[in-house]
Amino acid sequence: MANVEALYKELIAEWAKRPPNTVKCGQLLDQLKVALVKLAFLPTDGNDAQSSKKQLILARSVLEVAVEHSVLSKDLLAFERYMAQLKCYYYDYAKIIGESESKYKLLGLNLLYLLSGNRVSDFHTELELLSVDVIQHNQFIRPILSLEQYIMEGRYNKIFQAKSTVPVEVYSYFMDLLIETVRDEIGACIEKSYDKISAKDAAKRLNLRVPDEIKAFGEKRQWKLEASGDYSFTDRSVKPKELLPSEELAEQVLSYARDLEMIV
Amino acid sequence: MTNATDIGAHDVEMEVDPTAETLADEKKNQDVAAVQEIREQFRQIEKGVASKESRFILRVLRNLPNTRRKLNGVVFRNLAQSIYPAGAEREAAVALMPAVEKDATELPDVPKKQVATKAPIAEVDAYFYLLLLVKLIDASDLKRAGISADALMAKISIQNRRTLDLIGAKSYFYFSRVAELKNSLEGIRAFLHARLRTATLRNDFEGQAVLINCLLRNYLHYALYDQADKLVKKSVYPESASNNEWARFLYYLGRIKAAKLEYSDAHKHLVQALRKSPQHAAIGFRQTVQKLIIVVELLLGNIPERVVFRQAGLRQSLGAYFQLTQAVRLGNLKRFGDVVSQYGPKFQLDHTFTLIIRLRHNVIKTAIRSIGLSYSRISPQDIAKRLMLDSAEDAEFIVSKAIRDGVIEATLDPAQNFMRSKESTDIYSTREPQLAFHERISFCLNLHNQSVKAMRYPPKSYGKDLESAEERREREQQDLELAKEMAEDDEDGF
Repeated sequence: MANVEALYKELIAEWAKRPPNTVKCGQLLDQLKVALVKLAFLPTDGNDAQSSKKQLILARSVLEVAVEHSVLSKDLLAFERYMAQLKCYYYDYAKIIGESESKYKLLGLNLLYLLSGNRVSDFHTELELLSVDVIQHNQFIRPILSLEQYIMEGRYNKIFQAKSTVPVEVYSYFMDLLIETVRDEIGACIEKSYDKISAKDAAKRLNLRVPDEIKAFGEKRQWKLEASGDYSFTDRSVKPKELLPSEELAEQVLSYARDLEMIV
Repeated sequence: MTNATDIGAHDVEMEVDPTAETLADEKKNQDVAAVQEIREQFRQIEKGVASKESRFILRVLRNLPNTRRKLNGVVFRNLAQSIYPAGAEREAAVALMPAVEKDATELPDVPKKQVATKAPIAEVDAYFYLLLLVKLIDASDLKRAGISADALMAKISIQNRRTLDLIGAKSYFYFSRVAELKNSLEGIRAFLHARLRTATLRNDFEGQAVLINCLLRNYLHYALYDQADKLVKKSVYPESASNNEWARFLYYLGRIKAAKLEYSDAHKHLVQALRKSPQHAAIGFRQTVQKLIIVVELLLGNIPERVVFRQAGLRQSLGAYFQLTQAVRLGNLKRFGDVVSQYGPKFQLDHTFTLIIRLRHNVIKTAIRSIGLSYSRISPQDIAKRLMLDSAEDAEFIVSKAIRDGVIEATLDPAQNFMRSKESTDIYSTREPQLAFHERISFCLNLHNQSVKAMRYPPKSYGKDLESAEERREREQQDLELAKEMAEDDEDGF
């Protein structure tokens, strides 16, 4: 235990430096993880958990650092793993060890992560775990929920504006990911809703400042640039003539026949 | 109690009401009848165990809601005497019983009052405790209810008898109910899981059905949709579960699916739950399901029919949802906001609040659709004004997304700054009507198949001689009674 505490102190000291040394922190975290497993890590037995309150709190603090560390080193898989472990401490052991200060900060981070990956279903499942009061008023959760609403409604311009007002520094990496996702969405919308659009207008809508960026984006999505400097989508909107899905129809009719046969 | 107060009480009784005596008599008679009835039930259970026929037990349990009303301390004391031999076991049972009003402990005129000499069989024992538990819940004596529930679970857990399954299933339900009332649902999860494993291994279908429902309720109580979803995926819900259990299960399933944004699945399950629930009773259940159906339907982009809100018994409780539907139908964002803030606490109680927040973009969609229908050309500025948005830029993005999602058929022209609606395509030139038709046909066929499966066929009856007229009359009489009983049970079972 003492050994672990010493390691933890070292980690905190290292982590407090601006900017922190991610490699060193990573090494310390690896050591800590091994050490924690030997203590009461994720206990399943209620009595066991009761007796090791101090260890639980320590483990939680380590995981909190680990989550932020994984964001900083852009390791999404590790982020998901740490978050899953941390959630046990936030929800299941909350009665024993109380609430952590950074609980909502990190839960909000997780929500943003899910949103940036377009995992709307998981996003809402996570949201259900929070109380209505928190959803509506918490300084970390509320902005994320607004982001989700903007996306659902299609007010993508608000997302770009929100980038400058993230609640904490850690959020900005996922915010960047989210903007990439959103940009793709806007691209898809533009293809469908405009007959033609000038490169300048398209860049404005996609929030791309440099002219080269819009060119790259257009090429990536295989947009056709006309001589006049407009992107044209007229050929995309003409639907190919639908073929009669004969096989599917035949199957349906056969199943009707079989069912009718059973009834008569 | 001292003598003086006793006499005093007696005097008061005499003065106040001359009919008190007859009332007391009547009550006594009722108690006697109840004791006899329950003893008869014990005999039925014994018969069922001896002949290994579960339907006798099923019948007794089906009567539980009726029996439940007749229970009291006096009845329990009499029953305990007749099934438990004197000793520790009887004492333990008596200690848990609800208190008795004074001078009423004895029922002298119960005919053939026998005192048990040997311990009862496990089924009778469990049934007695089940009755006790139900009574204690009704009397909201949670402390004793908790003890008797634990005792009942201990009794059931150590047995391995198929004849105990049905009584066990009912017991799990009330066990979980006690935990819920005591607000300690979290603690019984492990136990329920253990029982579910055992029930699955032993092909105890009714037990499985009840346990899965209890667990789902448990998870949803804490909004653990993820875990609930995993449980549903990893377990197989027994086909042969009773209708009431199916209705519950489908409702929970609907809630999980709705939370996970699978609205059409959720809608399907909820409608089925409503169909499987009793038609005339269980108002509370139908209200809850109907509320959720309305919200899910709105999320799907449909507007529920007005008839839904007019059903007797539901009308009042659906008032808030009616307002909500109107706001969505009109595409009026301001009104929607008003409804949400006005009825917010009510929606939270109904567990529909988080779903309703998601409705906001449906309101916008509806509004855009009506704009698309009424204008052939309109500028984003005007749209923004109509939708009460901050800027024309917002409006342009929203319209653009609506076009991609297929809400409206239109194009945007950035150079001249307007939205132009396209001529609506002839729906009959597409496959749409055929698909809609197919959906209806398969629904009807499915309904037919399910009803065929739901019918019961007595074994080996095909070789039997045709029954005489008298036999038939008798059988029809029996069927009628059974049907009545089942209808009553369905209504009481919730």
